[in-house]
Amino acid sequence: MTRDALEIRLPRSTQTLFRARGLTKVYGMGETEVRALAGVDLDLAEGELVVLLGPSGSGKTTLLNNLGGLDVPTSGELSYRGMDLTSADEAQLTRYRRDSVGFIFQFYNLIPSLTALENVALITEIARDPMPAEQALEMMHLGGRLDHFPAQLSGGEQQRVAIARAIAKRPEVLLCDEPTGALDIRTGIVVLEAIERANRELGTLTVLITHNAAMADMADRVLYFSDGRVHREHRNASRAPANSLNW
Amino acid sequence: MISLLNRKLWRDLRRMKGQAIAVSLVMACGLAMMIMARSLIHSLKSTQLEYYESNRFADIFVQVRRTPNSMTTRVAQIPGVAVVQASVSVQITLDVPGLDEPASGLMRSLPDQGMPELNRLFLREGRWLGPGARGEVLVGEAFANANRLKPGDSIAILLNGRRLNFRIAGIVLSPEFVFESRPGSALPDNRSYGIFWMPYSELAAAFDMDGAFNFLALTISPGAVERSVTAALDRLLAPHGGRSSFGRSDHPSHVRVTDEIRVLQILSIGFPLVFLSVAAFMTNAVLSRLVALQREQIAILKAFGFSNSEIASHYMKFALVIVVGGTLFGGVGGVFLGRQLVGMYHMFFRFPELAFRFDYSALVLAIFVSTGAAILGVFSAIRRAANLPPAEAMRPEPPANYRPAFVERTGIGHLLSHSFRIAIRNLERKPMQAFFTVSGLALATGILIVPNCFRDGVEHVLGFQWDVVQRQDMSIGLIEPDSLKASYALRQLPGAISVEPFRNTMVRIHFGHTHRQLGIQGLPANGRHSRVIDSNSHQVSLPAEGLIVSSKLADVLGARVGDALVVEVLEGKRPIRTIPLVGLSEDFAGIAAYMDMQAVNRLLGEGDVISGASFSVNNARRSEFLTALKTLPRIGWVVVKESLRANFKQTTAASINLLQTLYLILATIVAFGVVYNNARISLAERARELATLRVIGFSRREVGAVLVTELVILSLIAVPLGMLIGTGFATFILQAVNTETVRLPLVLTASNYAFAALTVTIASTLSALVVLRLLNHLNLVGALKAPE
Ligand SMILES: Nc1ncnc2c1ncn2[C@@H]1O[C@H](COP(=O)(O)OP(=O)(O)OP(=O)(O)O)[C@@H](O)[C@H]1O
Ligand SMILES: [Mg+2]
Repeated sequence: MTRDALEIRLPRSTQTLFRARGLTKVYGMGETEVRALAGVDLDLAEGELVVLLGPSGSGKTTLLNNLGGLDVPTSGELSYRGMDLTSADEAQLTRYRRDSVGFIFQFYNLIPSLTALENVALITEIARDPMPAEQALEMMHLGGRLDHFPAQLSGGEQQRVAIARAIAKRPEVLLCDEPTGALDIRTGIVVLEAIERANRELGTLTVLITHNAAMADMADRVLYFSDGRVHREHRNASRAPANSLNW
Repeated sequence: MISLLNRKLWRDLRRMKGQAIAVSLVMACGLAMMIMARSLIHSLKSTQLEYYESNRFADIFVQVRRTPNSMTTRVAQIPGVAVVQASVSVQITLDVPGLDEPASGLMRSLPDQGMPELNRLFLREGRWLGPGARGEVLVGEAFANANRLKPGDSIAILLNGRRLNFRIAGIVLSPEFVFESRPGSALPDNRSYGIFWMPYSELAAAFDMDGAFNFLALTISPGAVERSVTAALDRLLAPHGGRSSFGRSDHPSHVRVTDEIRVLQILSIGFPLVFLSVAAFMTNAVLSRLVALQREQIAILKAFGFSNSEIASHYMKFALVIVVGGTLFGGVGGVFLGRQLVGMYHMFFRFPELAFRFDYSALVLAIFVSTGAAILGVFSAIRRAANLPPAEAMRPEPPANYRPAFVERTGIGHLLSHSFRIAIRNLERKPMQAFFTVSGLALATGILIVPNCFRDGVEHVLGFQWDVVQRQDMSIGLIEPDSLKASYALRQLPGAISVEPFRNTMVRIHFGHTHRQLGIQGLPANGRHSRVIDSNSHQVSLPAEGLIVSSKLADVLGARVGDALVVEVLEGKRPIRTIPLVGLSEDFAGIAAYMDMQAVNRLLGEGDVISGASFSVNNARRSEFLTALKTLPRIGWVVVKESLRANFKQTTAASINLLQTLYLILATIVAFGVVYNNARISLAERARELATLRVIGFSRREVGAVLVTELVILSLIAVPLGMLIGTGFATFILQAVNTETVRLPLVLTASNYAFAALTVTIASTLSALVVLRLLNHLNLVGALKAPE
């Protein structure tokens, strides 16, 4: 395996949260073997907003799942604040997800039988240092929708509830996998603004997967992924506000 | 293309095999019960019929006093009479090795030469009586087995007061004694009551019956009317005390078998129906789920040009595979259970061969019924699939609509936990699914109540009979009524603490158009041994005049207190009197009538006589008492309470245990199956939701709680409901089996309910645990991809 001689430049902030070295994930065996991650070297620091771009099947989601403790790598190193995620057990991973990670998915994944407020409160009740559920929804401009069930909300509103649910626990990491994939451009921008705001106001390390190159402008750093590796990295001199994006 | 559809069918089945099996098993329970019951009915009925035919069971029976044999020719001339057979039939007591108390029984004569024409015996073991041989008897199988008697063993029999030793030549069966029990006794008591046969000449000589008979059995020719034959027979034999001829429908052994068949008939309809409706719903739930999952596939199939009926038949096949599975399991299970129960019947009913006979019509019926249930079950799901417009189906199912549950709208919502809220909202959104899960669990609870209710009822009856009604330790009956002085002799028996004489007499009681033949028990007015008890469990003091009968008898006759009953005495001077009904008594076996002993003696006009006495015996001198009793002449029968009690316990306990095991298995399968099915469907429908909870930081345990809360709520509703249903079942069955020979009171105990609740809870918990284990394999990453 050749490792790209990629210089890892430290971001502005001080502390490195994730450290990955030679991170490899292989699905299947023998003939059907798929190398979803083929040796990723990566450091992610506190407060960064990182956009992950790359062709379909290049391993972006796999990386995100590994970072979020949903999946364990086949080989290589991966640590979060010095905690080895590759050898963590089920209970440790649950605790890690509960306290430190916020997830946002393309399909919102709200609990259909709970209202907006309850979907958020679900987390604030178990997290270590949450903000009030109402406040999280307020941040997402959903103060008037607290008692609506998911079926009574638009796609964009549902996604903002999902973001509120993710940030209400004041996570250190926010992992977003194509959060605007199912939304039109205007709604998409509203959602991006929400993510940007969470990143800025809470200082949350945010990793955002997208197929939309236009979104790269809002990042501190852009990682170009292909064939299971970080192929190229680009640092923006300044972040463009989400509402200035267009596609 | 069709074969591809079939391949899809197999894949779907494999994916849902757990649920398909669960449904099949519940269906199988219903079918097994039906096949079992119907096959038992078939086995009993056909065995009975064949036995009766091959061994020429008589149609009409009559006990008379000593009557010259010449009378048989006159009987044979009665129009409609085909074959007449006379014999001697007497009560005996005997001394069996290994049995403390004297046993009693019935001795019948056999022709000195050749086989009897009617009521032919079946030789199970040993040999027939040798021609001209003396000192040999044949013994009924039930008694022989209970006392471990073998051909060649010897027993001492008191024949008309003379104690003689007999060798057992053979062990036999008789169509007259399929149910071998003491007259009037509901349960067999084979250790201390038996049936015996010996040659006519020897028996007649012992009882001074040479050239005479005292028992007639006869068959009627085809087309003859039984009632007119018995009427003519009664007229003819009246001078000989023969006014009491009866047909098969009053024959104790025949009635018992017939009653049993009736109970089976009730079982073969009621229970399977309930099981199958639960199975039908489960099929519906599984299929609805499948159709919902396959919206897009259905749309694509339709877009390809498959017709609605092709799609409907595709899903119908899915249901039919379940039916085939259920029928197979049910058939095998029914045969297995049937074989077990046949073994139990063998304990009560003596047939030359009571083999399990499979009722093929039951299988056909089973297939019909289960297919019907499945079709009913899948109908709505299939219609939904067929009605789906292709374009509509292409779109993913719209997000489910929820609203705050009823409990929350009452204003206590804020008190509820999230998992509780998720649970109740889900339940409210799918009320039918919840309803059937509750029904299934309730049913499982209910059927567990039934056998324990039987057990408690039997225990109650035995306790009532032997602790409240009959407080004596033993009773003896004299061969012939004797003067009151005889009771002074009885008082001298070693160890007798108290003695109470009684005077029983056979009568026929008429009221309106109905009549019943039974013994009136003439007792001391305020006896401390055999007591007459009313429905409030108080002892009734027998009035100087008037009759007290069991409420069942009053029921059967349609008489009420105050009515005048016509009592026709069937012995002695045979008086016929009108006697007022002055009270009702409570009892649970047979029918009974009581009078003051002196009133009976006045009625009979034979002076102060007794027909037997009851004793309480000093326990330390019990064996001394029994030994002395064995030497007493003129004793017709002996009943020892303790051994009756022990025997009853053995036989009923064994059969109730078997029933209990059977119901336990069925209930466990249903509870397990229903919970499994429900949990699997919830798990499948909500995999995405549950995975999301895991992803956002819930532990396995917490996610499991969301799933389990729902089941707990359902069980909390189902179990009490099941107790109600079980009480209903028990009430219904007990009412249905309430016959003149046996009836059980409805006794419901806390331990019965607790056992049912506990069993169902354990079965559901285990089943839920099996499903919860699947949560460990929940695909977290997969759930985050696009919705299925
Ligand atoms: N559970 C799995 N089993 C086998 N192969 C998998 C699995 N999950 C992902 N893969 C494979 O791993 C590779 C990377 O998949 P991944 O989902 O990470 O790609 P992606 O970059 O997120 O693509 P997209 O932009 O389309 O979402 C793909 O080739 C995919 O087929
Ligand atoms: Mg992806």
